Amino acid sequence: MSQTLTAPRETSGAGDGVLTLATRVRRFAEQDPYRVCMREKRFGIWQDITWADYWDNVELVGHALYALGIRPGDRVGIHSENRPEWLYADVGIVAIRAITMGLYPTNPAPEVAYLLQDSGTRILIAEDQEQVDKALAVVDDCPALEWIVTLEPRGVRDYVHPKLMSFEDFLARGRAHRETDPDLLARMANDAEDDDVVTLIYTSGTTGPPKGAMLTNRNVSFGIDVLVFSGGLFDPPASQSDVTLSYLPLCHVAERAATVWTNAGAGVTVHFAESIETVQANLKEVQPTLFFAVPRIWEKIAAGIQIKMFSASRLKKLNYALWMKVASIIGERLVANDGKHTLLTRVLYALGYPFLFRALRDRIGMRKVRAAGSGAAPIAPEVLQFFFGIGVPIYEIYGMTENAAVATVNRRGRVKLGTVGEPQPGTELRIDETTGEILTRHPGVFAGYWNKPEQTAETLDAEGWLHTGDVGEWVDGTHVRIVDRIKDIIITAGGKNISPSEIENHLKTSPFVKEAMVIGDRRAYLSVLVGIELDTVADWAQRRRLPYTTYRDLTEKPEVLTLVQGIVAQTNERFARVEQMRKFRMIPKELDHEDGELTATQKVKRSSLNDMFGHLIEDMYANRTEHAGGDLVDVHTSRDFVPVADQEA
Amino acid sequence: MSSTPRSLRRGRPELYSDYAADQAIWNTAAKRWSTGLVLLLALSLPFMLNRDLMGLMALVVVYAISGIGLNLVSGYAGQISLGHAVFMGLGAYTAALLGGSPSSTVRGLELDLLIWLPMAGIVPALIGWLFAPLAARVRGLYLAILTLGLLFVGEHVFKEATWLTGGSGVGRAPAAPSILGFDLYARRTVLGTELSAIGVFYLFALLLLVVMAVLARNVARTRQGRAFSAVRDRDIAAEVMGVPLLRTKRLAFTLSSFYAGIGGALMTIVIGFTTPEKWSLLLSIDFLAVVLIGGAATITGPIIGAAFVVLMPRFIETFAGSLPEWFVSTTVGGGGLLNVFQLQGLLFGVMIVIFLVAEPRGLFGVWIRIRNYFKAWPFSY
Repeated sequence: MSQTLTAPRETSGAGDGVLTLATRVRRFAEQDPYRVCMREKRFGIWQDITWADYWDNVELVGHALYALGIRPGDRVGIHSENRPEWLYADVGIVAIRAITMGLYPTNPAPEVAYLLQDSGTRILIAEDQEQVDKALAVVDDCPALEWIVTLEPRGVRDYVHPKLMSFEDFLARGRAHRETDPDLLARMANDAEDDDVVTLIYTSGTTGPPKGAMLTNRNVSFGIDVLVFSGGLFDPPASQSDVTLSYLPLCHVAERAATVWTNAGAGVTVHFAESIETVQANLKEVQPTLFFAVPRIWEKIAAGIQIKMFSASRLKKLNYALWMKVASIIGERLVANDGKHTLLTRVLYALGYPFLFRALRDRIGMRKVRAAGSGAAPIAPEVLQFFFGIGVPIYEIYGMTENAAVATVNRRGRVKLGTVGEPQPGTELRIDETTGEILTRHPGVFAGYWNKPEQTAETLDAEGWLHTGDVGEWVDGTHVRIVDRIKDIIITAGGKNISPSEIENHLKTSPFVKEAMVIGDRRAYLSVLVGIELDTVADWAQRRRLPYTTYRDLTEKPEVLTLVQGIVAQTNERFARVEQMRKFRMIPKELDHEDGELTATQKVKRSSLNDMFGHLIEDMYANRTEHAGGDLVDVHTSRDFVPVADQEA
Repeated sequence: MSSTPRSLRRGRPELYSDYAADQAIWNTAAKRWSTGLVLLLALSLPFMLNRDLMGLMALVVVYAISGIGLNLVSGYAGQISLGHAVFMGLGAYTAALLGGSPSSTVRGLELDLLIWLPMAGIVPALIGWLFAPLAARVRGLYLAILTLGLLFVGEHVFKEATWLTGGSGVGRAPAAPSILGFDLYARRTVLGTELSAIGVFYLFALLLLVVMAVLARNVARTRQGRAFSAVRDRDIAAEVMGVPLLRTKRLAFTLSSFYAGIGGALMTIVIGFTTPEKWSLLLSIDFLAVVLIGGAATITGPIIGAAFVVLMPRFIETFAGSLPEWFVSTTVGGGGLLNVFQLQGLLFGVMIVIFLVAEPRGLFGVWIRIRNYFKAWPFSY
C-alpha cells in the first residue's frame, strides 16, 4: 500500500545535528531574513513579523529558558491562544532540546493542575490574566512549577507572586544570557538527536484523563515530510507564496501541523486570527490559500451561508437558488468522478463564477483557497459535497496525535466521499482481521505516553504497530472508511452493530442541530439527544415571530420540537430500519468544556452526558413523556418546569 | 524593515499591514480606477464640448467648490447656514477689488491672481471667524434665521457700496484671471486643439476643485472633522466628551467661508458681469440644494449635486420643447399652464422634498445603496 515519499529526507547541513523545527526556522531566517513569515492583527492592522524577527525571538526564548535552568528533556508549558509568542516559545523550547507542553486556553483550573503535575512542567508561559489566575490557583499543588511567564501584562501588573515573571523580563534574561553564551543554540542544534522528545501533546480524553503523547524530532520530521512536502495535508504542497490562518488550538496536533510545521517546513505566511469569534471576519481579510478546519467549523460556515440567504432580498435568493442547483450538479459530478473536474463541471463552474461562486467564496474568505482540509472528527459527506460544488475542494484527512497526524488522506483527483482516503506516502496501514481496528506503522508513530508505560503498551505493540482505536474497512481496496471509535460502537439488544457518529453527523448537517448523541447500546431501539444551535434556531424563531426567553425555553417550544422531529425523520430515511431513531429528547443547556460535557476540542464526552442526562434517556426507554422531546409521530413539551435539583430529590 | 512578496498581497484588498493603506481615501482598486476615469473624462471635456456647454461645466466646477464649503459647515458640522451667498459675494468682491480694473464707478488694483485668489478666501474666512461666535450661541431654526439676517445685511451693504460692487442694478466686471502674466481666460492651443477661453479657465478651476476637495476630505477625517460630526449629532454630548463647541463651530464657519469666497470669486469670472442682487437668498438656497441633492456630509456629493443643480435647468429647457404647448410654454408669455422657468422652479422644489424624505444622503446615498447591494452580493448584509 505504501508509496515512496516525494521529498527526500533532508539534513540540516554539514556540522549540524538532525533537522529540528528550530534549524528549519533558522534556515529561513538566514535565507530570507526580511521576508514576512507571519502576521498578527494588533491595533486594527496586520503587523508584519519577518523571519529575522521570528528567529531573534526564538533565540531569546531559548536563552531565557536556559538561563532559568531548563535543560534538555525538561518540560515547558504554553497556555495561550494562537499568537506569535506561541511559536517563539515552541521553537525556542525545541532549540534548547526541551519539551513543549501545550494547554488549551479553555482548560479549567483543575485540568491545568492535572496537566502540569502529570507532565512535571517547570516553567509555564501563560497568556493573560485568565490563564495566570488558573495557574496561581493551582501553583501550590504543582511543586515542579518554578516560573509563570505572562505574555499580557494587563491585569497582572499588580500581582505579587515570587514565581511570576513578565515576558519582557523573561526576554531580557534571554538577551543577557545570549551575550554571555552566544553559541548555546548552535551547540544544542549539534547535539540534537532524532529521538529527542520535542513535544507532549495531550489527547483530548473523551474516556479517561488526558494522556501526554510524546512526539520526537523523527516524528515531527516525518510529519513535515509527509504532510507538508508530499502534499499530505495540502495538495499541491505548500510553498512560500501560500497564506494560512491560524485559529484552532495549537496544542492540538492538527493545528500544530497546519501552522507550526507548515510554516517552518515550507515557509507559508501564517496569520493569527484575533479570536475564535472573529475567524469569519479574519478569513475575509486574509483570504488564505490553504485552510484547515474541523467539521464543526465547516458546518458553521455552511449554516452561516444558509442563514444569511434566508434574509436576503428576493432577487438574491433567486440567484442563489439557481446557481446552487448548478453547484449541486457540479458537486455530484465531482464526487462521482473522484473529485476530478470534467468538461461539464468546468463549464458550469465558469458560468456560475461571476454570478455566485466568486462573490460567495469572497464573502466566506475562501476565494483564494486552493486546498482545504477537514480532520480531527468525522464530517458528513453532504457538507463536503456542498463545498465541492461552490469550488472549495475539501480533502478529508485522518490521523491522530499518536501517529503525528499521519495516516490517510483523500488525494486530489482520487477522492472518495465517505472515506478518509488512501494511506499517506511512507505509511503502512492495515486493518486487524478480527477486531477491524486500524493499525498504522511509520517513522511518525509516537514514542509513547508520558509516564504511562501500561497505556503505551496497549496502544503500541512490539512490532511498532499503532492501535488507533478506530474501526475501519477498505473501500475498493484503496480507500479507508472509518466506522467509528471502537468504544463508541453501539450494539443493540438485537445484537446489531451500529456506528452512532454516522447518524449523528447526518443530523448535524442541519443548520439547526449543534449536538446530537445517539443512544441504543443494549437497548431495543435507537434514540437521540439533540442540542439545538442557538444562533440559527433563534433566527428561525424570530422569522416565525416565536417569542422565547432562554436557551431552554427555546429548546422546549413545540414548534422547535416539530422542527427537530422533521430533521430526525429526514435522517432516518437515509438509514436501514435498525439504524433509525425512534425517539428524541432535547438537551436543555448548551454543552460546555467547563462543565465537563465537552472535551477541549469540543467533542462530546459520551459517558458524562450519559450521567448528566440519564433522566432524559430513562424518560424515553421507560415510555414516559416528562421531558421535552417526542417520537416520530408526536412531540410533547416538558410536563411542568421542574428544577433539576428537585427531580433528583 | 520587511518585505512582502506580491503573491501575498494580491487579491486581498481588506488585509492592511500598515495604517497608511488602512486610512487611504482611495483604499480599493475600484475606487482608484473610477476616480482616475472620472478625472480623465473631466479633463477631456474642453476638447469635446463647445463654448456654451463649457460655460455650464465651468459653473458646475465652481458650484462644487462652494458646495463643498457649505457641506463642511452644514453637512459635516450640522450648522445650517443660509448666509452662504454673502460669503461668496465677499469673495467675489475682494477678488474684483484686488484683481479687477478700475473704472469711473468702481475701484480696482489689478493685482495678480496669486494675490487676489487667496485673499478671496481669506477675507470671507475672517468675516466668518468673526461671525461664528454669534452663530455658535444658537442652533437649528434660530441659526437659520440668524444667517438669514446676515444675508439681508450683506445684500444691503453690497447694494450701497457702489465703489466696490458697482451698485444695485449696475454691477461690475470680475477680477482678471492671470498668473504672472499668463492669462487663464484666453484661447489656447493645447495638444493640437484650440480650446475656448472658458475651456482653459475650466481646466484651472478643475485643478482647484481637485485640490480643495482632497483637502476638505482630509479635514473631515481628522480630529477636527470628527469633532464636526460629534457636534452635528449631539452638541451637548460632544461638549461632554470634551469637544470645544465654540472652537469647532468657529472652525467650520471659517473653513466654509473660505471655500465660499474662492467659489464666489471664480463664479463671477465664469458668468462675467455681476450685480449685487446675485448674492441673494435664492443663491443660498441653490447651494442648500447642491448639498442636499448631492449628499450631506460627503465630498463627492456636492460635486454630483452641483452638476445636477447647474445642468438640470438646461436639461428642462432643452426638453420642454417636446412637451405639449398647453402644458409648458417655452417663453414667459406663452400661454401654457406653466412656463419653462416655473417648471424649473417646481421641479427643483419637488426634488428637494423627495430627497429630504426618501434619501437624506442624496444622490451619493443612492450610489452607496447601489454599491452596497452589489458589495453584499450574494447576501443582503
